[in-house]
Amino acid sequence: MLKKVLMVSAALGMGLGFAQQKTEIEFWSWYLSPKFDNYLKDTIKDFEAKNPTITVKWFDKQDTMVQDMIASINLGKSPDVVNINIPETFNAAQNGFLTDISTLTSSSELKNQFWDNPLNNFTVNGKPYGYPWYGWLNEGVMVYNSDLVKKAGYSEKTLPKTNDQLLAFAKRVKDRTGQYGWIPNFIDASGAPLWHGFFYADGLPIYDEKTGKAQFTSSKHVALLKKYVDMYKAGYFPEDMLRKEAFQLSMELYNQGKLATIVGGPQSLTRIKDANKDLYGKTKVAEAPLGKSGRATGGGMDLVIPAASKHKKEAAMFAEFLSNNVNQMKFAKIVAIVPTSKGAEKDPFFKQESTDPIIQASGMVGASGRYIDPGFNPPKNSSVLYKNLVDNLEAAFLGKKTPKQALDDAATFWNANVNK
Amino acid sequence: MQNKTRTALIAYAFLAPALILLAVFTFYPVIYGSYLGFTEYKAAQFAAGEAPRFIGIQNFITLFQDELFITGLWNSVKYIAIVPALQVAALAIAVAVNRKLPFMGFFRAAYYIPVITSIATAAVMWDWVFQKEGILNWVLQSLHFINSNSAFGWLNNEYTAIWALMLVTFWRGFGFYMVLYMGGLQAVPAEVEEAANLDGATPFQTFWLVIVPMMRPTLLLCSLLSTFAAIRVLDEPLTFTPGGGPLNSTYTALMYVYQKAFNGFNFDYGVASAAGLIIAVVGIGLSIVQFRLNREGEERA
Repeated sequence: MLKKVLMVSAALGMGLGFAQQKTEIEFWSWYLSPKFDNYLKDTIKDFEAKNPTITVKWFDKQDTMVQDMIASINLGKSPDVVNINIPETFNAAQNGFLTDISTLTSSSELKNQFWDNPLNNFTVNGKPYGYPWYGWLNEGVMVYNSDLVKKAGYSEKTLPKTNDQLLAFAKRVKDRTGQYGWIPNFIDASGAPLWHGFFYADGLPIYDEKTGKAQFTSSKHVALLKKYVDMYKAGYFPEDMLRKEAFQLSMELYNQGKLATIVGGPQSLTRIKDANKDLYGKTKVAEAPLGKSGRATGGGMDLVIPAASKHKKEAAMFAEFLSNNVNQMKFAKIVAIVPTSKGAEKDPFFKQESTDPIIQASGMVGASGRYIDPGFNPPKNSSVLYKNLVDNLEAAFLGKKTPKQALDDAATFWNANVNK
Repeated sequence: MQNKTRTALIAYAFLAPALILLAVFTFYPVIYGSYLGFTEYKAAQFAAGEAPRFIGIQNFITLFQDELFITGLWNSVKYIAIVPALQVAALAIAVAVNRKLPFMGFFRAAYYIPVITSIATAAVMWDWVFQKEGILNWVLQSLHFINSNSAFGWLNNEYTAIWALMLVTFWRGFGFYMVLYMGGLQAVPAEVEEAANLDGATPFQTFWLVIVPMMRPTLLLCSLLSTFAAIRVLDEPLTFTPGGGPLNSTYTALMYVYQKAFNGFNFDYGVASAAGLIIAVVGIGLSIVQFRLNREGEERA
């Protein structure tokens, strides 16, 4: 009898033990701590309450995110959910580091949760590799210093509406106020050139996605580059444009009152508010000018599941939860991101009336998730190709090559290295 | 156990922790890195769990055909121009502060502060100095060396950018060498200086003919350290000119290695390791030259 009781007790004990066993997944965010600690901790707590068998261990990674991830995979301790951007997702997927998420979440579920554009932004060779988390528009809003703009003779109604008008605006602001009117995006923090977004904005192709061959050497491309080169040589753009990351330089000069406008996402407004309250008082927002194609470009962050993750199913559950409409909207209310989830466009938050530039800007772009499109996907071997493209464009800006020569040289290099 | 054996065992026991650390963190990476230089080992292979594939000297051929690497290597060699200036300044300052005078502690600390200043802080400060409307141009204009029309951003000019970076390296480095030289100076016996004085040597003669020869080991050490630091400079170019400066004028060989090995998921460990090996060989070559010069100096003395 005693033997039976002991056996039953042991079986029950083991059963309880198994029932209580939790799966721990590791989630890495990118540059979100400490500013968004509360949001992330609360969302993780919500997820754990709804999924008692899963616990989430969260780390915020910054500079060394990619190296840390590679090192962790090497050590057999891969994270399970990782927050990266479009170029890194492409690089990682092209080299086999990521899980095709359609093997974890059905295509219909993905299509129900996200707009096509954001989903396509993380689709490599026809397979989705990331749950779109949040996005932005490169030509989302035009943030401007109303004093400088007025001094240059512009009013709210006469602000530039096209990229050509924006160039004329930059010239007039410099001529009349001595300050810069606008700085084109040339260098991105990730080392990629943002500049070729201008080709896309004017409806000009970058490369053939099937063959990988460069398509940026036409006379239209050359003429467009020449316009900007001439402006640079005449001193209408700061020298630092070729050295410093575009967003950082624009913020520096705008906050010093040396720049009239920033064309980009509303996130710049939060920085202005934090750095210079007086200037924020003079800051207004308007619709961003667009190129000839009338299309805005944009970018986004996603949640990927490394191929080396040991808990892919649970990781997918968490990634879906974090990127669902409810949680993206909660995030959008804290910081001016563009949600990528269906349903966000109907949220009353984006329809509220306000005189505050941040709320105005959020209203202008927040519901545009369906339009987020980087214009073109990063090609294979992108870091090598982009470095060469930047070098050639720089040579054109510094007068060492003609715009035609620069684009021809970049295309030759591109074609020789794109499939390596 | 014989006394001799026991002594040897004790000695090795004391050496063991340091040797293990060196083996794990220095010898193994050097050997494995050297091996990788002769292999193909790209991101896709790594992700698939494949082993590096031996390809002989192909990576070295690739490197010497890559204009970017050659530019980087040349810039790294050019960077060695900082070494003599750094050593002379560090030695001069060490002599100046190696005296028992009031406030010397303050000066020693002040000269050392740049060594412990983070590169991020230095970047903000020196950016103000080098900008078109920055302090350096203001000083030059005030001294009428340039006028306002000829002011330019020192980091945005292909001819000045690398020299501007060397100035930052100089500022960040000379405090470190100053401390080493102070150690060397304090090791020179006071009697030797006194004897030179009694013999009627001037302070300059005492310094140049007595102290400097006695500090030869410290001079050699500092020169070697700063030469290696110069040839593998990375912090300054990467922080001030992340893209490699105007027309790659500040793009160094180690930036090339860094970008091949650590830039995202597109890495190429084989080429990065081969580039690292070439840098090491150049550094070792320069060290041999310095050793030779030092020996010739000793023989002449």
